[in-house]
Order: sequence, then structure tokens, then C-alpha cells
Amino acid sequence: MNVLTRLADFFAALGHYPAYILAYLFETLFLIVFVMVSLIAMIYIFRKYMARLQLRIGPNRVGKFGTLQLIADSLKLVGKESILPSGRDDLPYRIAPIIVFLGLVMGFALLPYGPLYFIGSLTVTHSDVSLLLLFAALAIMPIGEILAGISSRNKYAVVGALRGVAKDVSFEIPMMISVLALVMMASAKTANPLNLTNLVEVQFIPYGIPQVIGLGVFFIAMVARASFSPFDMSESDSELVSGHSTEYTGMRFGMFYMGLFGSIFLSSLIVSLLYLGGYNGPYSGYAGFIFLIIKGLILVLISFTIWLSVPRIRIDKFVNMGWKYLLPASIINLIIAGVLTLGLGI
Amino acid sequence: MMGSHISKPDEHGWVELNMGPQHPSTHGVLRLKVKLDGEIVKEVEPVIGYLHRNAEKICELDYYCDSMIYFDRMDYVGAMNMEVGYLEAAEKLLGIPPPERVQWIRVVMAELSRIASHLVWAGAFGLDLGMLTPFFYCFVEREKVLRIFVEACGSRQETNYMSIGGVYQDFNDKLVHDILEFTEQFPKKLDDIFNAYVKNDIFISRTKGIGILEPEVALDYGVTGPMLRASGVDYDVRKAEPYLVYDKINFDVPVSYKKDNLARFLVRFEEMRQAIKIINQAVKKIPDGPYFNPKAKKSLMIRLRGEGEVYARTESSKGEFGVYLVGDGGVKPYRVRVRSPSLKNLSVLPYLAKDQMIADLVAISGTIDLVFGEVDR
Repeated sequence: MNVLTRLADFFAALGHYPAYILAYLFETLFLIVFVMVSLIAMIYIFRKYMARLQLRIGPNRVGKFGTLQLIADSLKLVGKESILPSGRDDLPYRIAPIIVFLGLVMGFALLPYGPLYFIGSLTVTHSDVSLLLLFAALAIMPIGEILAGISSRNKYAVVGALRGVAKDVSFEIPMMISVLALVMMASAKTANPLNLTNLVEVQFIPYGIPQVIGLGVFFIAMVARASFSPFDMSESDSELVSGHSTEYTGMRFGMFYMGLFGSIFLSSLIVSLLYLGGYNGPYSGYAGFIFLIIKGLILVLISFTIWLSVPRIRIDKFVNMGWKYLLPASIINLIIAGVLTLGLGI
Repeated sequence: MMGSHISKPDEHGWVELNMGPQHPSTHGVLRLKVKLDGEIVKEVEPVIGYLHRNAEKICELDYYCDSMIYFDRMDYVGAMNMEVGYLEAAEKLLGIPPPERVQWIRVVMAELSRIASHLVWAGAFGLDLGMLTPFFYCFVEREKVLRIFVEACGSRQETNYMSIGGVYQDFNDKLVHDILEFTEQFPKKLDDIFNAYVKNDIFISRTKGIGILEPEVALDYGVTGPMLRASGVDYDVRKAEPYLVYDKINFDVPVSYKKDNLARFLVRFEEMRQAIKIINQAVKKIPDGPYFNPKAKKSLMIRLRGEGEVYARTESSKGEFGVYLVGDGGVKPYRVRVRSPSLKNLSVLPYLAKDQMIADLVAISGTIDLVFGEVDR
């Protein structure tokens, strides 16, 4: 049983197809609400945590302990005048933030969230190649950022977009090679390792233990993908004002902002699914979802701490790191995975 | 048009980019006209004057004792150093030497001010590199210095504490106690901030070997202060031409021979440690006596007349701060001219940033320690 079939049962009186269409619509709505709520919670946690690290108090005026501050902020963003730069390339300029946000939601849609006590499996989209689809969806967000940088006709934005391209190129190959090693290990145990659910469920021990190098490479790549410091060269605020989103205001800027925090949450969830056992844990048949969220949040806090305590890496040094360290490390990891799987039969 | 339109590349294929005057990396209102070849900075032209307030001319229209507030507003993060600099010149011109007690008090205040100024720099440099957190730790410590200033004269930044031939209020026991309390806990906090920076490999990779300033070039451009000492030239006005009572105090002048961003960082941190050493000695040695020269009582202050010309140099937190005063025998100076260290230090930026990356341009301009109140005056 999962959410989709339960919803379809609920609408069964309408007939088979309308019921499923309605069920999909509701599920998408739930997903977007989940993404928004988790983002608001995430940004609130980030601001409080940042304030504590920086000897400040953080938001504490709107609502109890400042919990409604983010709602107030987003209302302010919605109400802001949307200033459009005069030399813009209109269509890409307008759709770029939407692409970023859609890429984010698609990423969330493909994750297996594991079971929760009375609802059953929380997975939104079922697919036999969800691993491939997930990384395809992850590749959508940078396109939005590049479009935004080039179409807003601002030199800072262009430089930001170029840095974004250089960055993406240098971490995506090591990232995919680390995933390949995972699939290799899982293929010994399951017929279809490309299905994320199978990939999680074959982890009798979290794959981060036999594949420590892979975990490191993948985590660095994921933090870089989310444009989190120290890999935020594409929107480095002290050099490029704010990179590709320089010319955006109001809700369009809000979408980039949500994209930033959403993708660190998404990245953390993916790392915990692939390497930390995902929703596996004691009583995971009832509360797997909670395990996943806790693991994800711990990774998010680690990323926040890194953000707040290190300076930004220069773009050429990051490209160097991608090709000279991450790529060989991921290949070594692949060899280790091969030895473990084929040689030792783990 | 802050870079909002893409202009055509010039004949070299370089694109011109305006960084500033409203840009997050520029401290104050610096505008950098940058020619970019991709990520590489080919030419930099600093454009200044956005904060010009005509301070020197205004000083010429005021009595000698009234000019102090304009000097406070030059280097507003280290105002006491500016006051010392002006008074060195004014007191020489007017022939009103400060009593012994005042000289010691001024040394204490100037060094506290140097610490405050370097702390602002240390925090802002972290922001330039994308490091958010140390900034707040620096400002907490700076706030303690400013509390001492409030205790002494009622004002935080633009203190206006010193006056011709004396200081505005005498030191009392509570103030001395506060200062000693600060100097006791500060070195540990300073080490924490220092370690947050230098124990970080990314920080080292962003500063080491970048922005190398050869000593000959530095001397040619008139660079002074920590920037010059980080290039291996042992020149500090406090040692070379001691003023106040610096010759009676035991302290070292930190010099580095590495010439890069990291050297400038280390020199400034070591200067803060030396400043603590100076304060600790000076506070204990403050002699009893009057806290102003009787010739410069408040009621007589505006009648002070000076004739001749003087030039006085002092070591402010940015470098050699020179004040040139010409008096024509009247109650107002005939000419006031300031040699501001930040302006001279800024002039070397085009040399330093040539063929560096944009990120390094920001880091290098961060190590210059610019305060625009002083550059533009």
C-alpha cells in the first residue's frame, strides 16, 4: 500500500482513470506543500543556528520564537515590485526561476521516503529507473541558473553563470562515478539496482561504510551542486553581488532562494538514502520516514556549519579539485566496490 | 548603470565592469573600473571621491580647537589615531605642549583605537573571502573597546576625546580598571579569531602567495603602515620618529618578508598583540598631574594663534598619517593638508591586482584596509 493507491481508493467512486488522475494531482499538491513547509523549517533552523554561531539571537519577533518570520518574509517577497531589467532576454528571464523550482520539486518527487505508520509507503513517483531519473532531474536546476545568468544581461550574472558551468562540469563526473560504484555493489543483491527503493533496501549495512571514499566524493559534489559555501562561487556575494540572481527581485528571487535551501535539503536526503541507509533503522516498517528526515537534517546541519566556518574556494582551485582529486578518488572507489562485490562477494 | 548592460568587448577582447560604488565587496564607496578577460582582471582603475566632504577646507574656516571633529570623521574606525595626528601638528604650531600625563593617556587611547580599527579590518576581510562568522567575534571585541571610549568621553566612534594641550576628561580608576580588564581577556579572544582564520586550509590557499607587493614598489607608491611592513620594510613612525612617549615604551614592530596577503594579515594581528603590550605598560605608567595645559583652558581655546608651518607624522592604524598646518598668526589655520595613508595604499591596487582573478582582486583590496572617510576626506 502506498499513498497513491490509498488516494485512488478514496476517489474510487469516480471510476478508475479519474480517480488516479485526482490522486496524482493531490499527491503533487502534498509534495509541493511538503517541500514548502520543509523549506520554511529549514531556513528558520538555518537562521537560528547561524545566529547562535555568530553570537546573535536570530529571528525572535514575529510569532513565538520568531517562527512566523519566514512566512512574513515570503509575504514581503510576494508583495514586492518585480523589477525587470530593460535589456533582458524576456522568455528565458521569466522561466529561469520556474525551471529552478520545478527541478527541485521533481527531485523531491522521485525520492523514496519510506513507510510511515498508517499511511504506508510515501513515495510519490514510482519508477524502475528512479535513480537515473533523479540525476536527470538534478541536472535541470543548473540550466535554470545558467539561463538566468545569461538572460538578465548583467555582467555579474554572466560571470556567475560561467562559473556555474565550470563548477557543474567539474563535479558531475566524479558524482556519477560514485553512484556507479553504488549500483555495482547493489547489483549483487538485487535484480534492479536502478530503482532507488531497491537500492535503499539492499543496504544491510549503510553503503557509506564500505564506500567511505565514495561518500566523501558524493557529499562534496552534492554540497557543490547545491551552491553551498565553500562552493558558492557562482553567487559569491562579495565578488559578484549575487551571481546569476543579481537582477531578480520579489518572488522570482524567492524561487532562487528556495532553490538554494531546497537543494541542500534534497542533497542531504539523497546522501542519506544512498550512503547512510536511508529509511532503514529499527522499526523502519513503521517509522522509516522519520529516520530519513533525521539523517537528512543532520547532514543539513553539517552543511550549514561548513558554510558558516570556511571561506569560499576560488573557482580555478575548485575545478582543479574536481579533476585532480575528486575524479581519481571516485575511480579508486569504483575499483574498491568492484573488488568488494566481485572479489569478496559482499 | 552598475554593470547592468553588457557592453561590447574592447579591441583586446576585454570587458569593462564597474565594481561599486554600491557593491558588497567595496569597503565604503570605492568604485573599481575593472577590465576583465573572462575571470582574469587585466586592468583596475580605482575611482574615488564619492565621500569627499572637503574636510581640509572646512578646517581652514574653523578655529584650531574646532577642527578635531573633522579629523574624527576621517578614519572613523580608528578616530583616536586621527586626533593624535592632528594634535601633534596643532600643538607644535601653537606652542602648547601637552603635560606628561596627557601624553601617556593619549598613547593608551591611540593603541586601543588601533585595536578597534584592526578588528574591523579582520572581520571585514573574512567577509571578503566569504567567511561570515569571525566578523561577529571581531565586533564583539571591538564593542568592548568602544565601551571604554564611552566611559572616557561619552562617544563610541567619533570620540572627540582629545583637545589642544590636553584631553577632555581625566582618566579615573574605573577607566583604568576597565582597560586592564579588557587587556587581560583580549589576547585569548584574539587567538580564537586568529585560529579561526589560519587553521583553515581554504583561507591559507586564498591568501598565501597572492597579491605580492615588492618592497621597492611599495616604497615607490608611498605605501606605509602594516602593508609596507608586510613587504619587509621595517618602518614605523612610532620607532623611526617617536612622538608622545613611544620612546619610553618597550614594544616590537612586526615585520614580515612574505609580501603577500597572508603576511599583511599576520602583521596586523601581531600589531594588535603589540598594542596590548603597549597599553599594559602605559596604563601603569600614567603619572599624576594636570590633564590639560593651563595655556589651553577651555575659555582661552578659541583665542589660540599660530604662526609658521608644521608637518607632523604619526602612525595611524592604516599607515603614516601626516598633517601639514600653516598658520598666518590668526585664530584659524591658513592651510590644512592631510597625508592619508589609505589613499596612498589604495594607489598600489592596480599594480597588485593586475592579472589576478576577480576573487583575488576582492581579497587584495580587502588587505589594503581602506576607510573611505580618510581616502576622500
